[in-house]
Amino acid sequence: MKLPALFLLLFSFNVSAIAADTESAKLWLERLSQSLRQLNFTTSFVVVKNNQAEPYHWLHGIGENDQELEIFTRLNGPRRDVLRQGAIVSYIEPEQEAYSLISTDVRGPIPTIFRGDITELEESYRFISVGRSRVLGRVAQLVRIVAKDKYRFSYWLWLDQKTGLLLKMAILTRQGQLLEQIQFTHIEVNDQLSENLAQLQITELPDVMQLTNQTQNKALSWQVDWLPQGFSVVKSNQHNLNSRNRGDDKTVDFMLFSDGLTEVSVYVNSSIEKFRAPEYASDGATMVFNQIVQGVEVGVVGDIPVATAKKIAESIVPLKVEKIKDDSQPSVRE
Amino acid sequence: MSEIKSESVSSLVDNYSPSADDSVSAHLVDNMLKDEHLSSTWQNYHLIGDVLRDEVPQSLQLDLSKTISAAIAQEATILSPNSSTQGFSQILAESIDSSSDESITIHKVEETQSNNRVIDATNRFKAKISALVKPMGQVAIAASAAALMIVGVQHNVGSNDLVTPSQVVQTVPLTGYANPVSFNVQSAQPEPSLQSKQQTQQAMNEQVASERVAQQRRLQALLTDHNQQVKLGSNQ
Repeated sequence: MKLPALFLLLFSFNVSAIAADTESAKLWLERLSQSLRQLNFTTSFVVVKNNQAEPYHWLHGIGENDQELEIFTRLNGPRRDVLRQGAIVSYIEPEQEAYSLISTDVRGPIPTIFRGDITELEESYRFISVGRSRVLGRVAQLVRIVAKDKYRFSYWLWLDQKTGLLLKMAILTRQGQLLEQIQFTHIEVNDQLSENLAQLQITELPDVMQLTNQTQNKALSWQVDWLPQGFSVVKSNQHNLNSRNRGDDKTVDFMLFSDGLTEVSVYVNSSIEKFRAPEYASDGATMVFNQIVQGVEVGVVGDIPVATAKKIAESIVPLKVEKIKDDSQPSVRE
Repeated sequence: MSEIKSESVSSLVDNYSPSADDSVSAHLVDNMLKDEHLSSTWQNYHLIGDVLRDEVPQSLQLDLSKTISAAIAQEATILSPNSSTQGFSQILAESIDSSSDESITIHKVEETQSNNRVIDATNRFKAKISALVKPMGQVAIAASAAALMIVGVQHNVGSNDLVTPSQVVQTVPLTGYANPVSFNVQSAQPEPSLQSKQQTQQAMNEQVASERVAQQRRLQALLTDHNQQVKLGSNQ
């Protein structure tokens, strides 16, 4: 008689405990977002993936007129910098001339959503506050962003108790296999703007890119029938997929999807080959998937498990209803 | 004779053997050790050399060898902790045997013995402790190193398996549905003669290699474009 009541009691305790964990995790993530936008910090971190460690510097500060200034620099190999003055972001890369975009997203190794509105993720992910540990000689709070379904990866964040900043991040599969890690090696928070950022403030960034109109308002002839819940279209266009000056450019139908935390690109084009077995490669957590089925080549790229990529690729169908899309789409290359 | 000898001593001081034969210089050294005059010459030559090289210490100790031998003579004999008790019982026995005035000797011996017992005990204790602590310390270091390795390995296990460091993109054949390229090609071959087999093998290898390069290029192009498009975002 009493047993069910006891169970019920226990269950309710559990539920409230989980709710509390989620609530505190959300508070932590909101604090992270706030810290990333408002603090003057100088950090170094390494991205560990593919058995390699890539070191970066990351500086952020608030300049005059509350303008956000930011520098991301890869320290090994050819220079790969991202500079930001308020709403202008410049990319300096070895492959092409430096260019600027009007955007507030700095696309580096750290997902941009962490500085944005974290509630966007609630549809696809659960937040769990796990416990404390010691990272970078500081007290860190571990917050897990766990995928609600099996179609995406989970993210573990270690956040500094003192400043709320990120100290460590790991991307894991549902089975707990580690794919990619970001470990901070140095964190410094100042009241003053650091010297580099002060210099950035008076630097003239490259010209804002004039985006060329490559799509000619042509409707896409393919559509994706299946996507994990929570993904929505960011943009779709047709552009040339060139493999860097080798002359074998091909025009692809391109769609970019996002679930807030991660992006998935889908490329579709018709091919001379009738069939090619699925092939895939992984760069850390980023999966590149490619196959040809019945003369249609499909490529899927994103931080998703292979199974998801395969399922997306298989769901590609010819667009039956003619929809006129007049998105004028950007492209860097011309 | 003496001049020749002092010349050879000089060259010895300068690190040159007077003759190519090693046994001669060894002989010379023997001679020099016996002959007091020659050894003082040796000493003087060294001093001269030091002065020339400006290596003379501020307070010049002219005869180190004498002070050292004097110091050695003064140095108390050090007994090892274990043997000290034995030594004492011997001394005790001897003194009992040899001495006519027993009471004084025994008294003395007892006094020294009691003093030495204290020293002896502490020495032994230290020896034991150090004997005990040393291996324990070594074991502890080894254990902590092993523990670190285990922790490190466990941490690395997840990221270790797929990759070689030289490639940006590592293609991984997928068990189940994405066969490695080589697998597809090889399975289609019939049974040829040995020579043609080798030839086809080579051709196949080349084909596989070029196919791999093409695959790598395709996937790399996709990845690069993806990164680019993500950067552009919804930017119009």
